[in-house]
Amino acid sequence: MLWDLIDIIRDNWLLLLIGQYPNGPLGGFAATLILSTLSIALAFPLSILIAFARLSKNPLLLWPSTVLVYVARGVPLLMLILWVYFMVPLLIGANVPGFVTMLVTLVIYEGAFLSEVVRGGIVALGRGQMETARALGHGYFGAMLYVILPQALYNVMPSILSQFVSAIKETTLGYVINVPELTFAANQINNQLLTQPFQVFFILAIIYFLVCWTLTRLALTLERRIARKRAGMPGIPLSLNPQSQTAEL
Amino acid sequence: MIKFSNVNKNYGEYRALVDINAEVARGEVVVICGPSGSGKSTLIRTVNRLEEIHSGTITFDGRSVHGKMKGSELNHLRSRVGFVFQSFNLFPHLSALENVTLSPVKVNGVKQEMAREKAMMLLDRVGLSSKAKAYPAQLSGGQQQRVAIARALAMEPPAMLFDEPTSALDPEMVGEVLAVMRNLAAEGMTMMCVTHEMGFAREVADRVWFMDAGHILETAEPGTFFSDPQHARAQRFLSDLRH
Ligand SMILES: Nc1ncnc2c1ncn2[C@@H]1O[C@H](COP(=O)(O)OP(=O)(O)O)[C@@H](O)[C@H]1O
Ligand SMILES: [Mg+2]
Repeated sequence: MLWDLIDIIRDNWLLLLIGQYPNGPLGGFAATLILSTLSIALAFPLSILIAFARLSKNPLLLWPSTVLVYVARGVPLLMLILWVYFMVPLLIGANVPGFVTMLVTLVIYEGAFLSEVVRGGIVALGRGQMETARALGHGYFGAMLYVILPQALYNVMPSILSQFVSAIKETTLGYVINVPELTFAANQINNQLLTQPFQVFFILAIIYFLVCWTLTRLALTLERRIARKRAGMPGIPLSLNPQSQTAEL
Repeated sequence: MIKFSNVNKNYGEYRALVDINAEVARGEVVVICGPSGSGKSTLIRTVNRLEEIHSGTITFDGRSVHGKMKGSELNHLRSRVGFVFQSFNLFPHLSALENVTLSPVKVNGVKQEMAREKAMMLLDRVGLSSKAKAYPAQLSGGQQQRVAIARALAMEPPAMLFDEPTSALDPEMVGEVLAVMRNLAAEGMTMMCVTHEMGFAREVADRVWFMDAGHILETAEPGTFFSDPQHARAQRFLSDLRH
Protein backbone atom coordinates (compact mmCIF):
# COMPACT_ATOMS: atom_id res chain seq x y z
CA MET A 1 0.00 0.00 0.00
CA LEU A 2 2.63 2.53 1.11
CA TRP A 3 4.82 1.44 -1.81
CA ASP A 4 1.91 1.97 -4.16
CA LEU A 5 1.59 5.55 -2.93
CA ILE A 6 5.28 6.21 -3.30
CA ASP A 7 5.28 4.66 -6.77
CA ILE A 8 2.36 6.78 -7.89
CA ILE A 9 3.98 9.94 -6.57
CA ARG A 10 7.33 9.07 -8.08
CA ASP A 11 5.83 8.46 -11.52
CA ASN A 12 3.41 11.38 -11.52
CA TRP A 13 4.77 14.11 -9.29
CA LEU A 14 5.35 16.47 -12.15
CA LEU A 15 1.80 16.03 -13.42
CA LEU A 16 0.48 16.63 -9.91
CA LEU A 17 2.68 19.69 -9.54
CA ILE A 18 2.27 21.50 -12.87
CA GLY A 19 -0.11 19.39 -14.99
CA GLN A 20 0.94 18.86 -18.60
CA TYR A 21 2.91 22.07 -18.80
CA PRO A 22 4.83 22.92 -20.99
CA ASN A 23 3.15 20.54 -23.47
CA GLY A 24 -0.29 21.61 -22.33
CA PRO A 25 -1.75 24.29 -20.09
CA LEU A 26 -0.30 24.82 -16.65
CA GLY A 27 -2.24 22.58 -14.27
CA GLY A 28 -1.92 20.52 -11.12
CA PHE A 29 -1.07 22.00 -7.76
CA ALA A 30 0.44 25.09 -9.41
CA ALA A 31 -2.85 25.90 -11.11
CA THR A 32 -4.74 25.31 -7.88
CA LEU A 33 -2.47 27.72 -6.02
CA ILE A 34 -2.52 30.33 -8.77
CA LEU A 35 -6.29 30.10 -9.10
CA SER A 36 -6.95 30.42 -5.38
CA THR A 37 -4.33 33.13 -4.78
CA LEU A 38 -5.45 35.18 -7.74
CA SER A 39 -9.11 34.81 -6.80
CA ILE A 40 -8.51 36.04 -3.24
CA ALA A 41 -6.19 38.81 -4.43
CA LEU A 42 -8.88 40.11 -6.77
CA ALA A 43 -11.78 39.37 -4.44
CA PHE A 44 -10.19 41.34 -1.61
CA PRO A 45 -10.40 44.85 -3.15
CA LEU A 46 -13.81 43.92 -4.56
CA SER A 47 -14.97 42.91 -1.09
CA ILE A 48 -14.00 46.30 0.33
CA LEU A 49 -16.09 48.03 -2.32
CA ILE A 50 -19.04 45.72 -1.64
CA ALA A 51 -18.67 46.33 2.10
CA PHE A 52 -18.75 50.11 1.52
CA ALA A 53 -21.86 49.70 -0.61
CA ARG A 54 -23.48 47.56 2.09
CA LEU A 55 -22.71 50.20 4.70
CA SER A 56 -24.00 53.01 2.52
CA LYS A 57 -27.37 54.64 3.01
CA ASN A 58 -27.75 55.18 -0.74
CA PRO A 59 -30.31 52.60 -1.99
CA LEU A 60 -28.62 52.45 -5.39
CA LEU A 61 -25.52 51.07 -3.68
CA LEU A 62 -27.17 49.25 -0.82
CA TRP A 63 -29.66 47.17 -2.76
CA PRO A 64 -27.54 45.66 -5.53
CA SER A 65 -24.73 44.87 -3.12
CA THR A 66 -27.12 43.24 -0.66
CA VAL A 67 -28.68 41.14 -3.41
CA LEU A 68 -25.22 40.10 -4.61
CA VAL A 69 -24.17 39.01 -1.13
CA TYR A 70 -27.38 37.11 -0.47
CA VAL A 71 -27.32 35.35 -3.82
CA ALA A 72 -23.67 34.38 -3.48
CA ARG A 73 -24.26 33.05 0.00
CA GLY A 74 -27.54 31.35 -0.79
CA VAL A 75 -26.60 29.46 -3.94
CA PRO A 76 -24.20 26.48 -4.20
CA LEU A 77 -20.90 27.48 -5.75
CA LEU A 78 -21.23 24.73 -8.34
CA MET A 79 -24.39 26.38 -9.63
CA LEU A 80 -22.65 29.73 -9.95
CA ILE A 81 -19.85 28.06 -11.87
CA LEU A 82 -22.30 26.46 -14.30
CA TRP A 83 -24.11 29.75 -14.73
CA VAL A 84 -20.95 31.62 -15.59
CA TYR A 85 -19.79 28.71 -17.75
CA PHE A 86 -22.92 28.67 -19.90
CA MET A 87 -24.06 32.29 -19.72
CA VAL A 88 -20.88 34.31 -20.18
CA PRO A 89 -20.08 32.87 -23.67
CA LEU A 90 -23.67 33.63 -24.70
CA LEU A 91 -23.40 37.17 -23.40
CA ILE A 92 -20.05 38.06 -24.92
CA GLY A 93 -20.33 35.81 -27.94
CA ALA A 94 -16.97 34.14 -27.50
CA ASN A 95 -15.61 31.09 -25.79
CA VAL A 96 -14.02 31.65 -22.43
CA PRO A 97 -11.26 29.35 -21.15
CA GLY A 98 -12.27 27.25 -18.14
CA PHE A 99 -9.57 28.85 -16.03
CA VAL A 100 -11.02 32.31 -16.60
CA THR A 101 -14.56 31.12 -15.97
CA MET A 102 -13.46 29.60 -12.70
CA LEU A 103 -11.50 32.70 -11.73
CA VAL A 104 -14.41 35.06 -12.42
CA THR A 105 -16.81 32.89 -10.47
CA LEU A 106 -14.47 32.58 -7.52
CA VAL A 107 -13.79 36.32 -7.44
CA ILE A 108 -17.49 37.12 -7.26
CA TYR A 109 -18.18 34.37 -4.76
CA GLU A 110 -15.21 35.07 -2.50
CA GLY A 111 -15.78 38.81 -2.90
CA ALA A 112 -19.30 38.46 -1.53
CA PHE A 113 -18.14 36.33 1.40
CA LEU A 114 -15.15 38.53 2.21
CA SER A 115 -17.31 41.65 2.04
CA GLU A 116 -19.26 40.38 5.02
CA VAL A 117 -16.01 39.75 6.87
CA VAL A 118 -14.76 43.24 6.07
CA ARG A 119 -18.08 44.82 6.96
CA GLY A 120 -18.05 42.95 10.26
CA GLY A 121 -14.56 44.26 10.95
CA ILE A 122 -15.65 47.83 10.27
CA VAL A 123 -18.82 47.57 12.36
CA ALA A 124 -16.92 45.96 15.25
CA LEU A 125 -14.75 49.07 15.61
CA GLY A 126 -17.79 50.98 16.82
CA ARG A 127 -18.75 54.54 16.03
CA GLY A 128 -16.13 56.30 18.10
CA GLN A 129 -13.21 56.01 15.69
CA MET A 130 -15.18 57.24 12.69
CA GLU A 131 -16.71 60.04 14.73
CA THR A 132 -13.32 61.17 16.00
CA ALA A 133 -11.83 61.18 12.52
CA ARG A 134 -14.78 63.17 11.18
CA ALA A 135 -14.50 65.61 14.08
CA LEU A 136 -10.89 66.23 13.08
CA GLY A 137 -12.07 67.16 9.59
CA HIS A 138 -11.48 63.96 7.61
CA GLY A 139 -14.06 63.16 4.97
CA TYR A 140 -15.82 59.79 4.98
CA PHE A 141 -13.32 58.13 2.67
CA GLY A 142 -10.33 59.75 4.32
CA ALA A 143 -11.52 58.45 7.67
CA MET A 144 -12.03 54.99 6.17
CA LEU A 145 -8.62 54.99 4.51
CA TYR A 146 -6.47 56.28 7.35
CA VAL A 147 -8.39 55.28 10.47
CA ILE A 148 -11.01 52.57 9.96
CA LEU A 149 -9.64 50.20 7.32
CA PRO A 150 -6.13 49.84 8.76
CA GLN A 151 -7.67 48.63 11.99
CA ALA A 152 -10.58 46.66 10.55
CA LEU A 153 -8.53 44.81 7.93
CA TYR A 154 -5.81 44.03 10.43
CA ASN A 155 -8.38 42.56 12.79
CA VAL A 156 -9.98 40.37 10.13
CA MET A 157 -6.72 39.06 8.67
CA PRO A 158 -7.30 35.61 10.19
CA SER A 159 -10.72 35.42 8.56
CA ILE A 160 -9.25 36.45 5.24
CA LEU A 161 -6.66 33.72 5.56
CA SER A 162 -9.33 31.15 6.29
CA GLN A 163 -11.29 32.37 3.32
CA PHE A 164 -8.16 31.63 1.32
CA VAL A 165 -8.27 28.07 2.67
CA SER A 166 -11.87 27.80 1.47
CA ALA A 167 -10.84 29.11 -1.92
CA ILE A 168 -8.23 26.38 -2.25
CA LYS A 169 -10.84 23.76 -1.53
CA GLU A 170 -13.33 25.42 -3.86
CA THR A 171 -10.96 25.31 -6.82
CA THR A 172 -11.60 21.53 -6.94
CA LEU A 173 -14.99 22.35 -8.45
CA GLY A 174 -13.15 23.62 -11.51
CA TYR A 175 -12.95 19.93 -12.34
CA VAL A 176 -16.53 19.93 -13.65
CA ILE A 177 -15.69 22.49 -16.33
CA ASN A 178 -12.34 20.87 -17.15
CA VAL A 179 -10.05 23.37 -15.48
CA PRO A 180 -6.73 21.52 -15.31
CA GLU A 181 -6.05 21.94 -11.59
CA LEU A 182 -4.89 19.47 -8.97
CA THR A 183 -8.05 17.34 -8.79
CA PHE A 184 -8.13 17.21 -12.58
CA ALA A 185 -4.54 15.96 -12.61
CA ALA A 186 -5.32 13.31 -10.02
CA ASN A 187 -8.21 12.10 -12.10
CA GLN A 188 -5.96 11.87 -15.15
CA ILE A 189 -3.59 9.67 -13.18
CA ASN A 190 -6.46 7.55 -12.02
CA ASN A 191 -7.64 7.10 -15.58
CA GLN A 192 -4.18 5.88 -16.59
CA LEU A 193 -3.75 3.47 -13.71
CA LEU A 194 -7.37 2.30 -13.64
CA THR A 195 -6.86 -0.03 -10.68
CA GLN A 196 -5.77 2.21 -7.84
CA PRO A 197 -8.45 4.88 -7.28
CA PHE A 198 -8.15 4.67 -3.51
CA GLN A 199 -4.41 5.32 -3.54
CA VAL A 200 -4.65 8.15 -6.05
CA PHE A 201 -7.40 10.02 -4.27
CA PHE A 202 -5.76 9.37 -0.92
CA ILE A 203 -2.70 11.24 -2.19
CA LEU A 204 -4.97 14.00 -3.42
CA ALA A 205 -6.65 14.29 -0.04
CA ILE A 206 -3.30 14.36 1.77
CA ILE A 207 -2.04 17.22 -0.39
CA TYR A 208 -5.15 19.33 0.16
CA PHE A 209 -5.14 18.53 3.84
CA LEU A 210 -1.50 19.47 4.38
CA VAL A 211 -1.83 22.78 2.61
CA CYS A 212 -5.12 23.75 4.21
CA TRP A 213 -4.14 22.54 7.65
CA THR A 214 -0.91 24.55 7.54
CA LEU A 215 -2.77 27.67 6.51
CA THR A 216 -5.42 27.16 9.16
CA ARG A 217 -2.74 26.81 11.83
CA LEU A 218 -1.24 30.02 10.52
CA ALA A 219 -4.60 31.75 10.75
CA LEU A 220 -5.06 30.58 14.33
CA THR A 221 -1.60 31.77 15.32
CA LEU A 222 -2.29 35.09 13.70
CA GLU A 223 -5.64 35.35 15.44
CA ARG A 224 -4.07 34.70 18.84
CA ARG A 225 -1.40 37.27 18.21
CA ILE A 226 -3.99 39.85 17.21
CA ALA A 227 -6.17 39.02 20.22
CA ARG A 228 -3.16 39.50 22.48
CA LYS A 229 -2.34 42.80 20.88
CA ARG A 230 -5.95 43.91 20.98
CA ALA A 231 -6.22 43.11 24.66
CA GLY A 232 -3.96 46.06 25.32
CA MET A 233 -5.91 48.40 23.03
CA PRO A 234 -8.86 50.12 24.64
CA GLY A 235 -9.88 51.58 21.28
CA ILE A 236 -10.97 48.21 20.00
CA PRO A 237 -13.84 46.58 21.83
CA LEU A 238 -13.00 43.12 23.11
CA SER A 239 -16.52 42.00 23.80
CA LEU A 240 -17.67 42.20 20.20
CA ASN A 241 -15.54 39.33 19.17
CA PRO A 242 -15.72 36.58 21.75
CA GLN A 243 -15.61 33.71 19.29
CA SER A 244 -12.87 32.47 17.13
CA GLN A 245 -13.06 33.95 13.66
CA THR A 246 -11.27 30.98 12.22
CA ALA A 247 -13.16 27.77 11.73
CA GLU A 248 -11.20 24.68 12.61
CA LEU A 249 -10.69 22.44 9.60
CA MET B 1 -17.68 83.05 18.74
CA ILE B 2 -20.25 80.26 19.29
CA LYS B 3 -23.87 81.28 19.28
CA PHE B 4 -27.00 79.19 19.77
CA SER B 5 -30.30 80.75 18.69
CA ASN B 6 -33.59 78.97 19.40
CA VAL B 7 -31.98 75.56 18.97
CA ASN B 8 -34.20 72.51 19.30
CA LYS B 9 -33.32 68.87 18.87
CA ASN B 10 -35.50 65.80 19.32
CA TYR B 11 -34.85 62.11 19.48
CA GLY B 12 -38.21 60.93 18.20
CA GLU B 13 -40.69 62.29 20.71
CA TYR B 14 -38.03 63.08 23.24
CA ARG B 15 -36.88 66.71 23.34
CA ALA B 16 -33.13 66.55 23.92
CA LEU B 17 -32.53 70.30 23.45
CA VAL B 18 -35.28 72.84 24.08
CA ASP B 19 -35.07 76.46 22.90
CA ILE B 20 -31.39 76.90 23.53
CA ASN B 21 -30.26 80.52 23.38
CA ALA B 22 -26.73 81.13 24.53
CA GLU B 23 -23.42 82.51 23.42
CA VAL B 24 -19.76 81.84 24.06
CA ALA B 25 -17.56 84.88 23.53
CA ARG B 26 -14.07 84.67 22.05
CA GLY B 27 -11.59 83.66 24.73
CA GLU B 28 -14.34 82.69 27.12
CA VAL B 29 -14.31 79.44 29.09
CA VAL B 30 -17.76 77.98 29.67
CA VAL B 31 -18.33 75.00 31.92
CA ILE B 32 -21.53 73.09 31.27
CA CYS B 33 -22.91 71.02 34.10
CA GLY B 34 -26.13 69.28 34.94
CA PRO B 35 -27.51 65.86 35.77
CA SER B 36 -26.81 62.87 33.56
CA GLY B 37 -29.10 62.79 30.51
CA SER B 38 -29.79 66.52 30.63
CA GLY B 39 -28.42 67.09 27.11
CA LYS B 40 -24.88 68.35 27.75
CA SER B 41 -23.19 66.03 25.27
CA THR B 42 -25.91 66.61 22.72
CA LEU B 43 -25.43 70.36 23.07
CA ILE B 44 -21.71 70.45 22.43
CA ARG B 45 -21.93 67.80 19.71
CA THR B 46 -24.22 70.11 17.73
CA VAL B 47 -21.44 72.69 17.55
CA ASN B 48 -19.37 70.63 15.10
CA ARG B 49 -22.45 68.93 13.73
CA LEU B 50 -21.79 65.49 15.10
CA GLU B 51 -25.50 65.83 15.91
CA GLU B 52 -28.05 67.47 13.65
CA ILE B 53 -30.59 69.95 15.02
CA HIS B 54 -34.24 70.30 14.09
CA SER B 55 -34.68 74.04 14.31
CA GLY B 56 -32.76 77.17 15.20
CA THR B 57 -29.26 78.18 14.20
CA ILE B 58 -25.78 77.71 15.55
CA THR B 59 -22.99 79.95 14.34
CA PHE B 60 -19.33 79.21 14.85
CA ASP B 61 -16.90 82.05 14.20
CA GLY B 62 -19.58 83.83 12.17
CA ARG B 63 -20.53 80.81 10.04
CA SER B 64 -23.78 78.92 10.30
CA VAL B 65 -22.95 75.33 11.20
CA HIS B 66 -26.21 73.64 10.25
CA GLY B 67 -26.92 75.48 7.02
CA LYS B 68 -26.81 73.80 3.64
CA MET B 69 -23.21 73.19 2.68
CA LYS B 70 -21.01 70.86 0.70
CA GLY B 71 -19.36 67.93 2.44
CA SER B 72 -15.96 69.52 2.01
CA GLU B 73 -17.15 72.72 3.69
CA LEU B 74 -18.45 70.77 6.64
CA ASN B 75 -15.13 68.93 6.89
CA HIS B 76 -13.31 72.23 6.88
CA LEU B 77 -15.61 73.64 9.53
CA ARG B 78 -15.12 70.57 11.73
CA SER B 79 -11.37 70.79 11.36
CA ARG B 80 -11.61 74.18 13.07
CA VAL B 81 -13.45 72.90 16.13
CA GLY B 82 -11.27 70.92 18.53
CA PHE B 83 -13.24 68.12 20.14
CA VAL B 84 -12.10 65.98 23.06
CA PHE B 85 -14.11 62.87 23.88
CA GLN B 86 -14.71 61.25 27.22
CA SER B 87 -13.26 57.98 25.91
CA PHE B 88 -10.14 59.62 24.34
CA ASN B 89 -10.62 57.74 21.05
CA LEU B 90 -6.97 57.76 20.09
CA PHE B 91 -6.30 55.82 16.91
CA PRO B 92 -4.86 52.60 18.35
CA HIS B 93 -2.91 51.65 15.22
CA LEU B 94 -0.90 54.88 15.29
CA SER B 95 1.77 56.07 17.70
CA ALA B 96 1.13 59.15 19.83
CA LEU B 97 3.10 61.26 17.37
CA GLU B 98 1.25 59.83 14.36
CA ASN B 99 -2.07 60.44 16.10
CA VAL B 100 -1.13 64.10 16.30
CA THR B 101 0.29 64.48 12.77
CA LEU B 102 -2.32 62.47 10.83
CA SER B 103 -4.98 65.13 10.41
CA PRO B 104 -2.76 68.17 9.77
CA VAL B 105 -1.07 66.16 7.00
CA LYS B 106 -4.09 64.45 5.46
CA VAL B 107 -6.73 67.13 6.02
CA ASN B 108 -4.78 70.39 5.84
CA GLY B 109 -1.97 69.23 3.59
CA VAL B 110 0.76 70.28 6.01
CA LYS B 111 4.19 68.88 5.10
CA GLN B 112 5.08 65.77 7.12
CA GLU B 113 8.25 67.39 8.45
CA MET B 114 6.48 70.49 9.69
CA ALA B 115 3.62 68.48 11.14
CA ARG B 116 6.14 66.42 13.10
CA GLU B 117 7.88 69.44 14.48
CA LYS B 118 4.59 70.99 15.50
CA ALA B 119 3.38 67.70 17.00
CA MET B 120 6.53 67.36 19.09
CA MET B 121 5.95 70.87 20.38
CA LEU B 122 2.37 70.03 21.29
CA LEU B 123 3.30 66.76 22.93
CA ASP B 124 5.88 68.67 24.91
CA ARG B 125 3.21 71.13 25.92
CA VAL B 126 1.03 68.34 27.34
CA GLY B 127 4.11 66.84 29.00
CA LEU B 128 4.44 63.79 26.78
CA SER B 129 7.32 64.41 24.40
CA SER B 130 9.02 61.31 25.81
CA LYS B 131 6.02 59.19 24.75
CA ALA B 132 5.93 60.29 21.10
CA LYS B 133 6.72 56.79 19.83
CA ALA B 134 4.39 54.97 22.25
CA TYR B 135 1.15 53.42 21.03
CA PRO B 136 -2.10 54.25 22.81
CA ALA B 137 -2.24 50.79 24.39
CA GLN B 138 1.04 51.60 26.14
CA LEU B 139 -0.25 54.82 27.67
CA SER B 140 -2.29 55.42 30.78
CA GLY B 141 -5.74 56.97 30.50
CA GLY B 142 -4.49 60.38 31.54
CA GLN B 143 -1.67 60.22 29.02
CA GLN B 144 -4.05 59.14 26.27
CA GLN B 145 -6.36 62.04 26.99
CA ARG B 146 -3.46 64.47 26.91
CA VAL B 147 -2.39 63.09 23.52
CA ALA B 148 -6.00 63.48 22.39
CA ILE B 149 -5.88 67.14 23.40
CA ALA B 150 -2.60 67.61 21.54
CA ARG B 151 -4.16 65.91 18.51
CA ALA B 152 -7.08 68.35 18.56
CA LEU B 153 -4.75 71.33 19.03
CA ALA B 154 -2.66 70.28 16.04
CA MET B 155 -5.47 71.50 13.78
CA GLU B 156 -5.04 74.95 15.32
CA PRO B 157 -8.73 75.30 16.18
CA PRO B 158 -9.98 78.68 17.39
CA ALA B 159 -12.13 76.88 19.97
CA MET B 160 -12.04 73.61 21.90
CA LEU B 161 -14.94 71.47 23.10
CA PHE B 162 -14.53 68.94 25.90
CA ASP B 163 -17.12 66.26 26.68
CA GLU B 164 -16.40 65.05 30.22
CA PRO B 165 -12.68 64.69 29.46
CA THR B 166 -11.83 63.34 32.91
CA SER B 167 -14.85 61.15 33.66
CA ALA B 168 -13.27 57.96 32.34
CA LEU B 169 -10.05 58.50 34.31
CA ASP B 170 -8.82 57.06 37.56
CA PRO B 171 -8.87 59.83 40.16
CA GLU B 172 -5.09 60.14 40.31
CA MET B 173 -4.97 61.04 36.60
CA VAL B 174 -7.65 63.71 36.61
CA GLY B 175 -5.26 66.41 37.74
CA GLU B 176 -2.80 66.07 34.86
CA VAL B 177 -5.56 66.51 32.28
CA LEU B 178 -7.14 69.44 34.10
CA ALA B 179 -3.72 71.07 34.30
CA VAL B 180 -3.41 70.95 30.52
CA MET B 181 -6.88 72.45 30.15
CA ARG B 182 -6.06 75.14 32.69
CA ASN B 183 -3.01 76.15 30.65
CA LEU B 184 -5.10 76.30 27.51
CA ALA B 185 -7.60 78.55 29.21
CA ALA B 186 -4.80 80.79 30.47
CA GLU B 187 -3.52 81.13 26.91
CA GLY B 188 -6.89 82.54 25.91
CA MET B 189 -8.45 79.53 24.17
CA THR B 190 -12.22 79.66 23.73
CA MET B 191 -13.52 76.57 25.51
CA MET B 192 -16.76 74.74 26.19
CA CYS B 193 -16.25 72.05 28.81
CA VAL B 194 -18.81 69.57 29.99
CA THR B 195 -17.41 68.52 33.34
CA HIS B 196 -18.34 67.74 36.90
CA GLU B 197 -15.00 68.98 38.20
CA MET B 198 -16.39 71.85 40.20
CA GLY B 199 -12.98 72.92 41.45
CA PHE B 200 -11.94 73.42 37.85
CA ALA B 201 -15.17 75.29 37.09
CA ARG B 202 -14.75 77.61 40.04
CA GLU B 203 -11.17 78.40 39.18
CA VAL B 204 -11.11 78.49 35.37
CA ALA B 205 -14.63 79.09 34.05
CA ASP B 206 -15.86 82.54 33.08
CA ARG B 207 -19.41 81.25 33.11
CA VAL B 208 -21.24 78.12 34.16
CA TRP B 209 -24.23 76.86 32.20
CA PHE B 210 -26.54 74.59 34.15
CA MET B 211 -28.61 72.21 32.05
CA ASP B 212 -31.61 70.14 32.97
CA ALA B 213 -33.97 68.14 30.73
CA GLY B 214 -32.76 69.81 27.55
CA HIS B 215 -32.98 73.38 28.88
CA ILE B 216 -30.21 75.73 29.89
CA LEU B 217 -31.76 76.71 33.20
CA GLU B 218 -29.09 79.00 34.45
CA THR B 219 -25.99 80.79 33.19
CA ALA B 220 -23.93 82.59 35.77
CA GLU B 221 -20.42 83.38 36.85
CA PRO B 222 -19.04 80.48 38.85
CA GLY B 223 -18.90 82.49 42.08
CA THR B 224 -22.57 83.34 41.85
CA PHE B 225 -23.60 79.91 40.60
CA PHE B 226 -21.92 78.00 43.38
CA SER B 227 -22.84 80.32 46.23
CA ASP B 228 -26.31 81.31 45.11
CA PRO B 229 -27.92 79.03 42.51
CA GLN B 230 -31.31 80.33 41.43
CA HIS B 231 -33.15 77.20 40.40
CA ALA B 232 -34.26 74.49 42.76
CA ARG B 233 -32.86 71.92 40.29
CA ALA B 234 -29.46 73.58 40.37
CA GLN B 235 -29.51 73.74 44.16
CA ARG B 236 -30.31 70.05 44.33
CA PHE B 237 -27.64 69.20 41.74
CA LEU B 238 -24.98 71.07 43.69
CA SER B 239 -25.94 69.55 47.01
CA ASP B 240 -25.94 66.07 45.43
CA LEU B 241 -22.48 66.77 44.05
CA ARG B 242 -21.15 67.73 47.45
CA HIS B 243 -22.23 64.44 49.00
N1 LIG C 1 -28.94 58.63 19.75
C1 LIG C 1 -29.90 58.84 20.68
N2 LIG C 1 -31.14 58.36 20.50
C2 LIG C 1 -32.11 58.57 21.40
N3 LIG C 1 -31.94 59.27 22.54
C3 LIG C 1 -30.74 59.79 22.78
C4 LIG C 1 -29.64 59.60 21.87
N4 LIG C 1 -28.56 60.23 22.37
C5 LIG C 1 -28.94 60.78 23.55
N5 LIG C 1 -30.25 60.51 23.79
C6 LIG C 1 -31.01 60.99 24.94
O1 LIG C 1 -30.92 62.38 25.00
C7 LIG C 1 -30.76 62.80 26.34
C8 LIG C 1 -29.54 63.67 26.48
O2 LIG C 1 -28.40 62.89 26.30
P1 LIG C 1 -26.92 63.46 26.52
O3 LIG C 1 -26.79 64.70 25.73
O4 LIG C 1 -25.98 62.37 26.22
O5 LIG C 1 -26.93 63.80 28.07
P2 LIG C 1 -25.70 64.16 29.02
O6 LIG C 1 -24.49 64.29 28.20
O7 LIG C 1 -26.12 65.42 29.68
O8 LIG C 1 -25.62 63.05 30.01
C9 LIG C 1 -30.71 61.56 27.20
O9 LIG C 1 -31.97 61.35 27.79
C10 LIG C 1 -30.42 60.46 26.22
O10 LIG C 1 -31.06 59.26 26.64
MG1 LIG D 1 -22.69 63.15 28.21
